[in-house]
Amino acid sequence: MQFTKFFSQAEKDRIHGASLEILENTGLLVRNERARQIYARHGCAVDSRTTLVKIPGKVVEECRKSFLPTYTFIAQDPKYDKTLPGDGPVVITGSSAPNVIDPDTGEERRATSTDIANIAFLINELPGFDVFSISTLADDAPPGQFSLSRFYPALKNCKKPVRSNTPNIKDLEQVLELGELMAGSREAYMERPFINHHYCPVVSPLTMDIESTEAVIYLVEKGLPVYGTIVPNAGMTAPMSLLATLTLGNAEFLALNTLIQLIRPGAPMIYAVLSTVADMRTGNYAPGAVETGMLQMAHSEMAQYYNVPSGGYIGLTNAHANDAQSGYETGINTTAALLAGADMFNMGGLLGSLMAFDFAKAVIDSEIALMLKRIKRGMEFSEENLCLELIAEVGPGGSFMDSMHTMKNMRTTAVLPKVATREMRGRWEDEGRPDAHARAMKEARRILTRENPAKFPPELDARIRSRFEGLVPGDAGWKQTEA
Amino acid sequence: MVSVKNIFEAVLAFDKEKCVELVNRELDSGTDMNTILNEGLIGAMDEVGRLFSEGEFFVPEMLRSAQVMKAGLDVLKPRLSKMESAKKGTIVIGTVKGDLHDIGKNLVSMMLEGAGFEVIDLGVDVDAEKFISAAKEKNADIVGLSALLTTTMPAMETVVAAIREQGLRCKTMIGGAPVTDKFALKIGADGYSEDAAGAVETARRLISA
Repeated sequence: MQFTKFFSQAEKDRIHGASLEILENTGLLVRNERARQIYARHGCAVDSRTTLVKIPGKVVEECRKSFLPTYTFIAQDPKYDKTLPGDGPVVITGSSAPNVIDPDTGEERRATSTDIANIAFLINELPGFDVFSISTLADDAPPGQFSLSRFYPALKNCKKPVRSNTPNIKDLEQVLELGELMAGSREAYMERPFINHHYCPVVSPLTMDIESTEAVIYLVEKGLPVYGTIVPNAGMTAPMSLLATLTLGNAEFLALNTLIQLIRPGAPMIYAVLSTVADMRTGNYAPGAVETGMLQMAHSEMAQYYNVPSGGYIGLTNAHANDAQSGYETGINTTAALLAGADMFNMGGLLGSLMAFDFAKAVIDSEIALMLKRIKRGMEFSEENLCLELIAEVGPGGSFMDSMHTMKNMRTTAVLPKVATREMRGRWEDEGRPDAHARAMKEARRILTRENPAKFPPELDARIRSRFEGLVPGDAGWKQTEA
Repeated sequence: MVSVKNIFEAVLAFDKEKCVELVNRELDSGTDMNTILNEGLIGAMDEVGRLFSEGEFFVPEMLRSAQVMKAGLDVLKPRLSKMESAKKGTIVIGTVKGDLHDIGKNLVSMMLEGAGFEVIDLGVDVDAEKFISAAKEKNADIVGLSALLTTTMPAMETVVAAIREQGLRCKTMIGGAPVTDKFALKIGADGYSEDAAGAVETARRLISA
């Protein structure tokens, strides 16, 4: 499959050059002292009073030499490991929303650890998703267990790779201890570190924060998997120009990944972004805007320029319900990104621009993900697939309906949706005119009223629960009643 | 009077230099300061508010006009000894500890200033101690707390509790994407607003209460 391109080679060279100019001449504020020290040790100009760091182009170029073309999300069960770009598009849930749309009442409320357990179970079962980024916070977290109350229910109910962040090093260490307990030992965990870390250490424009940067340094030093997402917002934290927003974001990507490569050359990374354009009528955040898709396309092109995996939060929506807007924002932006060769899509389950998880939205997004994967699979060009013999055999006026070839391929050639209806109107009316949301909710209920096959063994669970006193239950499953 | 209208026009045309020049000229020619203030500067901001609510003006236009208005106001300030009484209240504002995201907070600051409040902006990553010492020093009516990250929201509770503990007379109001009215209630904050325009209303309500 040939990818869509916005730029010529000369234009990409210029965007890269302009990014280097920004880092060398304007520089960026680096609030984290350890990061400043690392930059300083490697020939960057550091002003410790203002925290301004200017990165010479040659430092970036040197670090580019150790950029890796692949990144692996590790799962508890190796059969669920996913490597970018080969296994792409890798589809991931959107993460860390404070709220959930209550599946019974339809009202938005604060999410809990039990919601996370249910979401983990659902994502483990939905075929479109490859990685579970913990979708919400846990409002019921006991004191001192903010992150544990998210990772424990997630890891307990999902065997696919689990990904998320932590607010500070204490929480991060607690989460890593949970991983080591699950693996049996620190050594065993380091063999296959199945907790995948993600942070947004760069606050646009051109500022690196303290805590997230600290976490990235900590993890890279330990050799654990981590990557960062770059999030410029045109009109607010970037110029009101798509090209400038791309370039500023590209500079920020280079700054962060220069730091990572300076710490550990060859550390895997992803060119991950959520570049957007603000709605200047109100100042509102607009991740569902079509420009988010366009910027993702352009960033993916730059990722190919650097030969690193690409992706990000793409396919988010500003809609507050599973309505037409929710569908077209997710659909248009993810399709655009896919056609430009994006490898990773943080797209699933969130409404209201990252504010609330919705179970039906996750089911719909799984179906969109299957469609994206189908596009990526492409036309599968081969002599066999030309079917010349079959065409001659059936001949003019014949039917392919009952051929062995059709029977052999009919379950794999096309996506067979569970949410999208293909019924005639009469039957749809007989069923009570269910819309996409209702059909998706029915599928969520079908999954979540069964027993979760992916739970922890009881003895492991007992070991974890005795180590972390007062831990949330973390059990998944909805009651059998029809809502 | 014609040139007071010109001050009004300068604010709406985002022309800072012209606004300052016109305010100075009016003062020199003896125009009443309240006329300059109310019919020129504040009158212009009322018009900006109307245009914004009708969707004619976008946020950057509101920001620029508020900056022009403020520049005009700065000319008046030293001469207007009764300025204090004209002020609608003092608000200390900042993003809480751990949060560097300040666009929303800056927008709210501008809107509050545009509405006539004195705003003391403490910037980003502000801890409870700094909020309290500024509130004491400035005799603040309101302390405004902002957070974008869901993980920094708990810091709001710390500040609100510390203000209570110190027995300060000021009210507290909070805002930011993950914040809700329920959360405000839970942590004991006095006010909450979903957006910047609403923050002005909330501040007015808290001060008149």
